[in-house]
Amino acid sequence: MDSQAGTPVLEMRGIGKAFPGVQALADVDLTVMPGEIHGLVGKNGAGKSTMMAVLMGIQQPDEGTIVIACAQFKAMTPREALASGVAYVPQRIAMMTPLTVAENVLAGMMPVNKMGFVNWGQVYSEADRRLKQLGLEMDVRARVEGLSVAEQTMLAIAKALFSNAKLIILDEPTAALPRPDVDRLFAFVRSLRSHGVAFIYISHHLEEVFEICDRVTVLRNGRLVETRDVAGLDTPTLIRLMVGEDVKEFAREGSQAPQRTEVMVVKDLVRRGHFEEINFTLHAGEVIGIAGLEGCGASSLAKGLFGLQRMGAGDVTLGGKPYNAMTPMAAFEQGLAYLPQDRYLLGIVGARPVRENITYPVLHRLARAFGFVNQDEERKLVQDYITQLGIVTPSAEQTVSLLSGGNQQKVVFAKLATTRPQVLILHEPTQGVDVHAKIDIYRIVSDLAAQGVGIVIISSEVRELLGVCDSIMVMYRGHITERFVVGAPGTTPENILIAIEGGAVNVAQ
Amino acid sequence: MSKVNSGNLFVFLVENLIWVLVLVALIVFSLLSDKFLTPFNMVNLLVRVAALGLLVIGQSFTLITGNFDLSSESTMGLTAMVGGLMIASTVNGGLGWEVNPLIAIAVMIVLGCAIGWINGTLITKFKMNNFIVTVAMLMILRGVTYAISPGQSTSFFPELFDFLGSGSVMRIQQATGRFLPIPAAAIFLILMFAVSHVVTRYRRFGRNMYAVGSNRSAADAAGIDSQRVILLVYIVSGLFAALAGLLEAGRMDSATPRMGSGMIFSVQAAAVIGGISLFGGRGTLIGAFGGVLLWGILDTGLNMLQVSPFWIEVSRGLLLLFAVFLDAMKVRYLHRIAVRKALTGNTIGLQDPVMT
Repeated sequence: MDSQAGTPVLEMRGIGKAFPGVQALADVDLTVMPGEIHGLVGKNGAGKSTMMAVLMGIQQPDEGTIVIACAQFKAMTPREALASGVAYVPQRIAMMTPLTVAENVLAGMMPVNKMGFVNWGQVYSEADRRLKQLGLEMDVRARVEGLSVAEQTMLAIAKALFSNAKLIILDEPTAALPRPDVDRLFAFVRSLRSHGVAFIYISHHLEEVFEICDRVTVLRNGRLVETRDVAGLDTPTLIRLMVGEDVKEFAREGSQAPQRTEVMVVKDLVRRGHFEEINFTLHAGEVIGIAGLEGCGASSLAKGLFGLQRMGAGDVTLGGKPYNAMTPMAAFEQGLAYLPQDRYLLGIVGARPVRENITYPVLHRLARAFGFVNQDEERKLVQDYITQLGIVTPSAEQTVSLLSGGNQQKVVFAKLATTRPQVLILHEPTQGVDVHAKIDIYRIVSDLAAQGVGIVIISSEVRELLGVCDSIMVMYRGHITERFVVGAPGTTPENILIAIEGGAVNVAQ
Repeated sequence: MSKVNSGNLFVFLVENLIWVLVLVALIVFSLLSDKFLTPFNMVNLLVRVAALGLLVIGQSFTLITGNFDLSSESTMGLTAMVGGLMIASTVNGGLGWEVNPLIAIAVMIVLGCAIGWINGTLITKFKMNNFIVTVAMLMILRGVTYAISPGQSTSFFPELFDFLGSGSVMRIQQATGRFLPIPAAAIFLILMFAVSHVVTRYRRFGRNMYAVGSNRSAADAAGIDSQRVILLVYIVSGLFAALAGLLEAGRMDSATPRMGSGMIFSVQAAAVIGGISLFGGRGTLIGAFGGVLLWGILDTGLNMLQVSPFWIEVSRGLLLLFAVFLDAMKVRYLHRIAVRKALTGNTIGLQDPVMT
C-alpha cells in the first residue's frame, strides 16, 4: 500500500485527557500517513470523540504531543488546527443551506471585477471548475438545501480541500445514506486519496471500515488497543479488539425472572420509516436488552412508547390494560417510565436542586390543599431515595449540574422510581459515567427488577447488557433481527456484535 | 432571478409571490375605485411610503444577517429633531443657529451612522443580545429626542433641506394638459432600493451578509469576518434611518418629537411580507420593495374607500399573519421538494426503512 510512503501527515503521541471522574484518554498514539484512509473504531465512550476533539483543538490534552505538518504542539487551538490543514466533516453538515452551491464553495472569496462588483457568471464557472477538478459534477446554481446528504458531504469535503485541508476527519458520514450514495461517496474519497489527501474515518459500520480504510486504530476505554493494516484483518478479530476480553463487568445475581406475570406485551407495532413488526413480551422482574446501531429504530421505539414521539400502529398492553401514551405524563400515569439517553437535554434540570429534580413527576401526589406542596413529605421522600440509591451529594438542595455524571444519572433514576413504574425503559443508562458508577447503576437496575419492575435497556455496551439482562434483542434497520437468551450457548459478545452489524448469526438455542 | 424551467415554475411563483400580491391588490382596488389607478395617486403613494421604505431598506440589511434593529424609528426621530434644531429659527422652535442645510444634513447622517455603530459594537464586541440592545436604544433615543426638543415641533425649514421630502425633480405633461410633478422622494426611494439591491447581490459585502445570515459558523469557517459584517449592517441601518428622518422632516416641513414613533412594526411587517426572512439568509431587496408597495397600496386603497382607520389597522395585522403563514408554507414546500429530489435523484429511493 502506498500509504506507508513519506512522512506522516499527523502524529499524535501519548495523548492523555481526564475529565472529572473519568480518564477519557490515556497514552493514545495515532499516526496518519499521506494518502491514507485511517479508520478509528471503538464502542461509545471508547475515546474517539475526545481524541478528535483534541486534534481539532476543542479539548486541550493533559499529556502528549501532536506533530502536524512538521510543527509540534502540546495543545492546539481550533484556529491552529484549521491552519495546519485539519478539517472536520460532521455527520450533520453545517452549510449555508439557503444559498447556492457556488456561493458555498466560494464563500468569503467571491470573484469581483475591477469595480468590486460580484461577477456572477464567473462565480458559477469558477465554482464549477473547482468542483470538476475534484471530479465532482454538480449543479452549482442549485441551492444546498436541495442536495442529498451524500452530495452535501462531498461538497463539505470539497470545501475543506479548497481551504487547503490535508487531513479530513469524516465522522459517521454514511449514517443517513442509502447504499448507492455510499458508493458514490466512497468513490470520491478514494479518488482524493490518490491525490495525497489523508482521511480519518470514524464509523460504527465495520464493513465500511473494511471496504475503504487502509489501516485501523482501535480504542477501548480511552486506551489504544492496536493500530493494524486492514488487509489481513477480519470482522470477528476487529470486534474482539473493540470489545476486549478481560474487563470485569457487573453480573446480576439470580437473573432468571422468578415471576412470570406479563407486565407489557407489544404486538405488531409498526411506525413506517422507524421500526416494523415489533413483538415482545416483558415479564415482571425481567430485564430485556435491545442492542443496535445508531438509527436502528430502538430509540424511536423507546420514545414512541414513552409518548415523546408517535408510537405507531399496533397492540400494546401494560399490566393487562391497553396502553397508549400521547405524552410522557400519560406514560407515567399508565406505569411506564423512560430514562433518556441525553441526560442534559431530557433527564435533569441542571440548575435546580436534587430535591426538585426527583419530585417533578409526583408533585401532584405531594400537593395538599390549594396546591401547596407538603414539604416535610417531599423532603422525606427525597432523603429516602438519596440513601437507597447511594446518591453522593452534600445535601438534597445541591444543584444537580454540580454532581458527577454517575450521581446525576442516579437522580434521574430516583425521579423515575417515584412514579412507581411497572415498566422502565433505560436508554444508554451508563453513558458518560465511570466504572464504579456503572456498577452502582446496574445494582439499582437489578434491585428494581427484584421488586418486580419490568425493565428494557437500550445500550450499545454489549458486555454490560450480557451482565444484567435475561435476554437481548438485536434491532437492525427497524426490525428485530435476532433474539439471544443470556446464558444460552451462542450468546457471545461476538455473535451479538455481528448481528448488530446486520450479519446473520447461526445460533443454536 | 435564477433560471426557470417548467418544473420550477411553481417554485418561481412561490418565491416571487409578493409581486403577485401587489398585482392582485392593484387590480382589486382599481376595480373598486376609478380614482385609484391614476398617475397622480400612484406617485403620491410612493411619497407616502418613502420614509417607511427607507427604514425597510436598513432593516432588511440587518434581517438578512439574522439580526434586527428595533431602534431605527427612534434614530429617525432623533436625527430629524437634531437637523430641525440646527436650521430652524428660534421663533419656529430651532436653536437659532440657522446653519447651512447641507451641514445639517451631514450632521444627521453622521449621527445616524454613529448610532448604528454603537448598536453594532455593543452586539458584536460585547456580545450583548441584539433584541435588548436595540430596544434599549429605542427608548434612550426617543427620550433624548423629547429632552432636546423645544417641547413642540421645529418647523419652517429652508427649501434645500425640504427638497428630498417635498421637492420635485421634473414635471410631466399629462394627456389632460395638466402637469404631473415627479417628487424627489419617489425617485429617491426607487434609487435607494436599486442601489441596495445591487449592493446585496453584486458586492462582496452583500454576499457576505447572506452567508452570515444563512449559517454564521460556516461563514466564519469560510474566512468571512462576521463581526465586521454585522457591525456594518447596523451602521447601514442607522444611515437609512437618518435619511428617513431627513425625508420625513422635509415632507412635513417640520420635525416633531414623536416622529417615527410606532413605525418599527410596520417596517418589520413590510420587510417580512416582502419575503425577507426573520431567520436570516433569505429574501431580496426587490422583494422588500414589493412589501413596501403592498403596504402603501393597502393603505391608500382602504383610505380612498373610506374604511375606518381601525379596520385598516386590523387589515395590516391580517396581512402580516398571512405573510408569515405563506413564509412558513414556502419553507416547508421547498423543503419537501428538496427531500423528494434527494430521494429520487441519484439513488434508488426509499429502499432503506430507517432513513429519516
